[in-house]
Amino acid sequence: MRRGLLGFAVAATLAAAAPAGAALRVVAATADVAALAAAVGGDLVTVETIVPAGADPEAFEPRPGDVEKLRRADVLVRVGLGYDYWLDTLVAQRGDTRLIRGGEGYVDASAGIPLLEVRGQSVVNEGGHAHGVANPHYWLDPQNARLATAGIAEALVRVLPNERERILANRATFLAALDMRLARWTDTLAQFAGVKLIAYHNSWPYFARRFRLDIVAYIEPKPGVAPSPAHLAQLIAAGHKQGVRAILHEPYEPEDASRCLAEKLRVPVVVLATSVGSVPGVSDYLGLLEYDVAALARALGAPSQ
Amino acid sequence: MSDALSLLLLPFAASVAFVLIHAYLGVHVLRRNIVFADLALAQLSALGATVAFALGYSPTSPAGFGYAFLFTALGAALLTLTRMLSRFVSQEAFVGILYVVATAASVLVVDRSPQGAEHVKKILVGSILTVGFPEFLKFAALYAAIGLFHWLARRPLLAISSEARPTGVSAIAVPVWDFLFFLSFGLVVTSSVTTAGVLLVFSFLIVPAVIGSIFSRDLRLVLPIAWGAGIAASAVGLAGAFFLDLPTGAAMVTAFALTLVVAGAAKTLLFTDAEPRQRNRRIAARAAAGLALVLILVSSLWLIVHPAADQPLLAVFERASGFGPSAFLNAGEREIFADAVRDDGRFQAEVEELNARERAARIGAPLPDDEVRRIASYQQTFNEMAKGERFVADVLRAKARARERWILGVPAAALALLGLVLLARPCFEGRLRRPLQHDELGPEGTKLHSSS
Repeated sequence: MRRGLLGFAVAATLAAAAPAGAALRVVAATADVAALAAAVGGDLVTVETIVPAGADPEAFEPRPGDVEKLRRADVLVRVGLGYDYWLDTLVAQRGDTRLIRGGEGYVDASAGIPLLEVRGQSVVNEGGHAHGVANPHYWLDPQNARLATAGIAEALVRVLPNERERILANRATFLAALDMRLARWTDTLAQFAGVKLIAYHNSWPYFARRFRLDIVAYIEPKPGVAPSPAHLAQLIAAGHKQGVRAILHEPYEPEDASRCLAEKLRVPVVVLATSVGSVPGVSDYLGLLEYDVAALARALGAPSQ
Repeated sequence: MSDALSLLLLPFAASVAFVLIHAYLGVHVLRRNIVFADLALAQLSALGATVAFALGYSPTSPAGFGYAFLFTALGAALLTLTRMLSRFVSQEAFVGILYVVATAASVLVVDRSPQGAEHVKKILVGSILTVGFPEFLKFAALYAAIGLFHWLARRPLLAISSEARPTGVSAIAVPVWDFLFFLSFGLVVTSSVTTAGVLLVFSFLIVPAVIGSIFSRDLRLVLPIAWGAGIAASAVGLAGAFFLDLPTGAAMVTAFALTLVVAGAAKTLLFTDAEPRQRNRRIAARAAAGLALVLILVSSLWLIVHPAADQPLLAVFERASGFGPSAFLNAGEREIFADAVRDDGRFQAEVEELNARERAARIGAPLPDDEVRRIASYQQTFNEMAKGERFVADVLRAKARARERWILGVPAAALALLGLVLLARPCFEGRLRRPLQHDELGPEGTKLHSSS
């Protein structure tokens, strides 16, 4: 565990130190969109992340240093869908028109994504209309990285028109690697198509859609509210009846409920990373999905590769 | 049902263990007047666990426990010092400072090492529902050991908790006993807080001890009452959480509060001498009636002043009586109102149905991205339409209430005011009479009294 953290710290330092002075400054809301921006920008950009790797973005509180990061930023990449709503006030404070919606350096990485579970229950009012906030964890479907990187590449080309070719080439390289891995991931998980799972939070609809998993229930339907005994009893009953094979758990959530349910159902708890850096050793976008696919396959009993 | 029993048996057993040790320590804490010391110690142990995590140890490893224990011992030492400072300022102030600083420090450490946040979160919420059997055995063994220590050292420990300058304990021994008390206390809350969460541990500690102290000052009576009340409250809380489908910890805290209210009522209305009991019952009845009337008065005044705003009491009344806003609308408006309410539900059902279709496609025939986009766009439209219907319903409800305020609000306010005046009259009379009764000693006073 310790070596993993250290390794990640070294990797992060190297990543920050590599590009030289004139590089474009990209500020990303989370480590995931930061990883995508780094893949597209390559040597042309330095990428800074606002939410620290491994922290819960939905419980994030900005610091003075974040205002400073935004002050220096040329491009802002956000997750969108209300996931990083705190960026609105941070950017508004700056009064920089380049980084607000429609500005030259503004990227909402969720643009164009086929959204899942659009419900109209959000209190956050984006742009004066009921946004009908969708489930925000779209980066966990590797296909969505295609659309997110398109938006990022577009903004980078807007700001650095002379580097168009390099930016597009970077993205093409990234997508080629993505396609190759996606084919392997799909292959690995194909034998588990339709497998029933219980998840701690509803963070996996996009992942489940891509890899054909059936997430039948959630342990904590409302974030921060511990499950009631009746809910836990339902989960146990449903788990037995439907033949649930594993519990998906996120690294920054308390383990007790997942562990307890797993014991009752006699199935493994699989800790899956929702975000780059949320488990040690996962330091880029492809690594994130590689880790999740491998962990899930191992837990479900795939022959090791 | 057997499912429920098997699920709730272990949490209940753990609650009983918690109540037995915490209620006893709660008596100490109440006598020392430092009710928040448990929060401070628990937060310090959480800080220790977070620091351990930041340094690369798992909180459940021996090193992780070592750090938590070290920080708890530091807290115990600091709390020991507060007795010396208590000559200047109340000890509770220092306990509070210790608590907020420990909390803030854990936030700072978590900021450097986010993976430790899980531990802080766990301490806040707790998860008594999912306590495991090995954990329970660990608690039982630890509490038995600490209970034994407190039994053997009961004389000095009780003396230093009850008096500022304890008799029978030498001045040098006081800080030593203080430290041992806080250390054992810290060990107990450190272990219980990760399972039950700070709110519930606070309830285990304070509420049964308060209930016991209401009925007696004698420890031999206080403890059995506290234990009985705590165990009953735990059972009610767990059962309530199961049958009403509520988060367990929060339901149990509420059950403890209800038990306290019931115990307070029982003490004043049942278990007192006949004469004060009669008086207490009168006061209680009058207070309850007064509170209800004030609520009605405020609510109807609020309706008169601002009919379009949220009307919580009126909404409850409408739901209970079925006498809704439609009674104050004309036929056309009523139809629109009913349509809006119905369509809001219909549109929301459409959204859920589309969700279900997309979910089924994840493992069935896959939907192409454009089909998913189309579904999402339909859902957004339905959400907008549902919002529109809610807006229509709100406008019509406000319209109905603007009429309702004269028909319902004004009479209700008048009646409540009248009731309050009637209720208050004996008080005023009593106050007028009381100084006269004082004067009854003199001949003048007797005259006045008889003439009135």
